[in-house]
Amino acid sequence: MINLAYKDIAHSYLKFIVTAMGVGMLLGIVLIMIGVYRGMVIDAQVLLDDIGADLWVVQENTLGPFAESSRVHEDLKNTLRVNPEIDKTAALAFLNLQIKTPDGIMKRVYSVGYDPHGDLPAINPERLVAGRSIEKSHYEIVVSQKLGFRLQDKIRLGRNIYTVVGITKGAVSSGGDPVIYVSLKDAQELQFLYSNARIRNDRARGLKVDADNHLVNAVVATVVKGSDPDAVAENIRRWKHLSAFTVSDERNILTKNVIETASKQIGMFTVILVGVSTIIIALIIYTMTLEKIKEISIMKLVGLPNMTITKMIAQETVTLGVLAFIFGNLFAHAIWDKFPKRVVLEMDDAWALFSIILVASVLASLFGVYKAIKADPSAAIGG
Amino acid sequence: MTNEVGIKVENLTKIFGSGESEVRVLENASLEVKKGEFAALVAPSGAGKTTLLMMLGCVIEPTAGKIWLGDELVWDEDRWSTPDTRRIRREKIGFIFQAHYLIPFLNIVENVKLIPLVNGWPDEKAEKKAMELLEYFDIADKRNAMPSQLSGGQNQRAAIARALSNEPKIILADEPTAALDMERAVSVVKMLRRIVEEQNVAIIMVTHDDRLLPYCDKILSIENRKVVTTTQSAHLIV
Repeated sequence: MINLAYKDIAHSYLKFIVTAMGVGMLLGIVLIMIGVYRGMVIDAQVLLDDIGADLWVVQENTLGPFAESSRVHEDLKNTLRVNPEIDKTAALAFLNLQIKTPDGIMKRVYSVGYDPHGDLPAINPERLVAGRSIEKSHYEIVVSQKLGFRLQDKIRLGRNIYTVVGITKGAVSSGGDPVIYVSLKDAQELQFLYSNARIRNDRARGLKVDADNHLVNAVVATVVKGSDPDAVAENIRRWKHLSAFTVSDERNILTKNVIETASKQIGMFTVILVGVSTIIIALIIYTMTLEKIKEISIMKLVGLPNMTITKMIAQETVTLGVLAFIFGNLFAHAIWDKFPKRVVLEMDDAWALFSIILVASVLASLFGVYKAIKADPSAAIGG
Repeated sequence: MTNEVGIKVENLTKIFGSGESEVRVLENASLEVKKGEFAALVAPSGAGKTTLLMMLGCVIEPTAGKIWLGDELVWDEDRWSTPDTRRIRREKIGFIFQAHYLIPFLNIVENVKLIPLVNGWPDEKAEKKAMELLEYFDIADKRNAMPSQLSGGQNQRAAIARALSNEPKIILADEPTAALDMERAVSVVKMLRRIVEEQNVAIIMVTHDDRLLPYCDKILSIENRKVVTTTQSAHLIV
C-alpha cells in the first residue's frame, strides 16, 4: 500500500520542514526552560557542595544565609568545637555586591568570606582554573571566570583595592550570580563597617556606634566519622538556642524555599509552551487537512476507507512532531551556552518531552481527522 | 452491448427537507443502462442530475425506490445492502469528474493503482493493471510525472485510467469534458465510447454539450422529476 502521508510530505517537503523548524524552535525553548530549571537546582547546591560541611549553624529562628538574613558571632566556631561530635568548623560571611568588570559593566556578584587559615576552605580546588586560593588575611580576591578579570587585576570593593589571585569556573550562588571569594576579615569589613561619614553622623546623633564587626552569617561544621549529623544538629538546637541544619536540610531549603517560586514560574511557562506547541501543531494539521479537503472528498468518493485517511493525517502529525522534536533539540543545543545563567540539557528531559509531544501530536491530529471524517464525498461531484 | 443490467433504477424518489421547505427532486424515476451501453444524462441546471448521480454512486440516500448496480440490489426502498457503501463504490464504480481531481501528491501511476491497492490487490498486480491502462490511454511515458506536470488532456486521461483501475462495470462521469475544449472533449468521449465497447461497461455521463450526444446509445433526460429515456443508435462511432 502506498504511504499517503510520506507521499504528501515528500510532495511539499520544504513547507513541511520549515513548519517543523518553526515548531521545533518552540520545543527548543521548552527544552531550554527545563534546562534553566535544572541549572537553578544545580546552581543552588554549588556552594553547599563546594564548602562540604555536614552542618550549617545560623541565627535562631532563621533558615540560614541563603534563605533568610542570619547573624551569629564568629567565635561560635570555637564554641561548637566543645561538642565532641564536631570535627571541624568555619565561619562564613555572605554578601551581594555589584562589581565593575574590565568591560566597565556593573555585575551582581555573590561574595563569600572565609578564613583562609581555617579548617574548612570555601573554595573547591577543582574549580580553580588559574592562580591560587586566598593565602593572606587581607585584600586578596578570587573571582569567577565569567567576570573577565585576569590574575593580578585590581578591583575596588568598599574602601579597599583587592588583587585577583585566583580564577574559578562554575562557582555560582543559588541565584546563579558569579561567586567571588575574599578573606573573612575583608568580608566582615565589607558587610558591617560603616563609612567614616556615617560613623561621624551617628556620633553626632548620640547613637552608640556598633563597632562589632566580628559577626558572620553562618558557622559550618563537619561531624566526626560515625556521628549522626541529624542528632548533632538537634543537640545544637537544644542547648545553644541556634538554628542548625544538616546539609540535606539546607539542600531542601535551597530547592524548596529559595528556588521554588522560580521553578514554579518556569514550570508554568513550560506547560504553557507545550500547550501552545500542541495547539500550533493542531492548527497546522487542521490547515493542512483543509488544504486537502477536496482530495479527501475524492478519496472518500472513490472508496478509500476512513482508516486510510485517518492514518495519513495521524502519520503526518506524528512526523511533524518528531521532526519538530529533532529540530528543537538541535536548536536548544546550539544556543544553550549563550544564556547568562547555567542551562543543563538532560537526555531524560528530552525523552520526557518527546513522549509528551508524541501524545500531543496524536491529540492534535484529532482535529484534522475529525475534519477529514466529516468531509462530504458528494463535494467532489458537481461544480 | 449485452442484456446484462449495468445500472437499473425503479421508482426512485428523492425529497430534501420537509414541510414547507420540502423539495422533491425526483419522483418515481426509473431508468436502465445495460452493460455495454453509453448513456448521456442531460437536463437543465437544478433538475437533479447531480442528485441522481450521487444516489447511483451510493453517496446520498434516496428517499424511496430501488437501485441495482450489476446484479446487486444496492438500495432497497429504505436501506443500503451494506453499511459500507464505500466498498460498493470501490469495487463496482469508476468515477470521472469535471476536473481530473488526481491526488496531487501522488504520481500518475500511483494515482491509478491506489484503488486496486485499497481493494487488496498485490502491488505487482496493481502496478501491471495501472501500466496497461496508461499504455491504453497513451500516457505510459508519464507514469512518474506528477499531475501538475501534465496537460489538462493528459490528466483527464489519467483520471479515466484511474476510474477503470478497479475494473468496474459501471462508470459515472460528471461532466468530464466541461473543462476541455471541443477537440479534447470529443477525444475524451471517443475514449469512453471505446471503453464501453471493449470492456463492456455501462457509462452514465452528465453533459450539457449536445454535440457529444451522437456518441451515446441512450439519452436520459429529467423532466417533471422523472427520467425520460431516448434510445438511439450511436451514429458517431469511433
